[in-house]
Amino acid sequence: MKRMELEEVFSSKPRMKILKLVARLGELNVSGVARRIHLNFSTTSKHLKVLEDEGVLQQRTYGRIRLYRFNQASAKAKVVQALIEAWEKETT
Amino acid sequence: MKFHSSVFKDESKLDINYVPSRLPHREKEHRLLMEFFSFLLRIPDKMAQRVIVTGDIGTGKTALCQRFGEDITIEAHKRSINLHYVHVNCREYRGKLFLILQHALTVLKPTFPQRGYGAEEVLRALLQHLDEENAYMVLALDEFDSLIEAEGSDAVYNLTRLQELRPNKPQRISLVCVMRNLESTKRLDDSAKSTLQRNVVRLERYGKAQLIDILSERTALAFEDSAVPEEVVGFAADLSQDENGNARFGIELLWRAGKYADAQDLDAVTPECVRKAISSIIPTLQKSQIEELGLHEKLFLLGTAEVFLETNEAYATLSEIEEAYAVACEEYDEKPVSHTQLWKYLQGLSVLGFLKTEVSSEGTRGRSTLIYLPAVSAEELAKALRLVIEQGTR
Repeated sequence: MKRMELEEVFSSKPRMKILKLVARLGELNVSGVARRIHLNFSTTSKHLKVLEDEGVLQQRTYGRIRLYRFNQASAKAKVVQALIEAWEKETT
Repeated sequence: MKFHSSVFKDESKLDINYVPSRLPHREKEHRLLMEFFSFLLRIPDKMAQRVIVTGDIGTGKTALCQRFGEDITIEAHKRSINLHYVHVNCREYRGKLFLILQHALTVLKPTFPQRGYGAEEVLRALLQHLDEENAYMVLALDEFDSLIEAEGSDAVYNLTRLQELRPNKPQRISLVCVMRNLESTKRLDDSAKSTLQRNVVRLERYGKAQLIDILSERTALAFEDSAVPEEVVGFAADLSQDENGNARFGIELLWRAGKYADAQDLDAVTPECVRKAISSIIPTLQKSQIEELGLHEKLFLLGTAEVFLETNEAYATLSEIEEAYAVACEEYDEKPVSHTQLWKYLQGLSVLGFLKTEVSSEGTRGRSTLIYLPAVSAEELAKALRLVIEQGTR
């Protein structure tokens, strides 16, 4: 799998919205994300997959339900989460 | 507008959801609950427990469970045990197991999706989450009767035998089932009943002296010093005792009496405030609804109130009420309607909340429907009904 460049991952507005949302709410399923950022299910799934492939998000499965959250084992994820939290704190 | 100083110091202490730090005259029952669940503080993964808490309205069932829930959680956290106490009123969720479990899960995982799966999946997700967090849950199912009514034996059986779905895994969920009486458990099959009914904590009705203690403690928390004289507390305790020792009734009565005192700019709550408060209960709750009922519905309800006045029992059968209804018809020179029609009235009045029904399997002729008045004094109801009927027939 070809890794994406940093700027490619973070230059997408929907992906940034997803990261902010997950930072705020902790865990969400695909429909929950899609509804909140006003995108359709399939586009949202694609963005979530990118973030998962890059190791920023991870999914946890509860039967048929998949919830996305920051990848607890990834140093990248921790930095991104900290950046968003600091950014949001400064701007509110 | 100028506000007179209030008789209240903190009226939230009289709110139905307030749980006092100690519950007078429920110390033994609290201790018993703590003993039933003491394993949670030592070997939480090795056991799960099921306990029924039962007692009439206003005997402190909900407060006792919530006090116990807070206390056991504090003790568990002191020992670094990740315990959650979740209190769910089953009636609020129409007795549906799926909705009840979903509520329990969303307490722990607020963003868990609300739709698109069944009760079993929610239960699995709940257990998986508890496993992942190495957490335990005491799930208190208040108004458990409504779950039995809506879901029957299978759901209760599954809920009480969770561990059989996952052998060799830690036990995660214990249950506290809160119900007014054990009648509805008779609807369960033997296996569900036997797993549920081993531990029962019964709350007896409060006597007058106990009610005085309870109301005095709440008064001290909620009202300004000397705003509620002792005789007023005693009076409210008497009235609560008339309401089957219902402490909640007394607490709400004092709150309402305090409002009457404030509305008249009084410095203290008087017995007259209490009298006004009690006489306001019927009009605020039901008088307009009573007027909207048909004549024979009113007569049926009058018959019901008369039966309770006469027998002083909590429950009556439809045939007892039917006899009293016939007498009420004679009194107002009306021809009684058929049994089938009365059955329909019973259903309608039950939906409107004037009375409630419960199915009993007691007796030799199988199940019978028992009827009771949920919160209103039979005397006040009869008085209000007579007034409305007489105004209508004049």
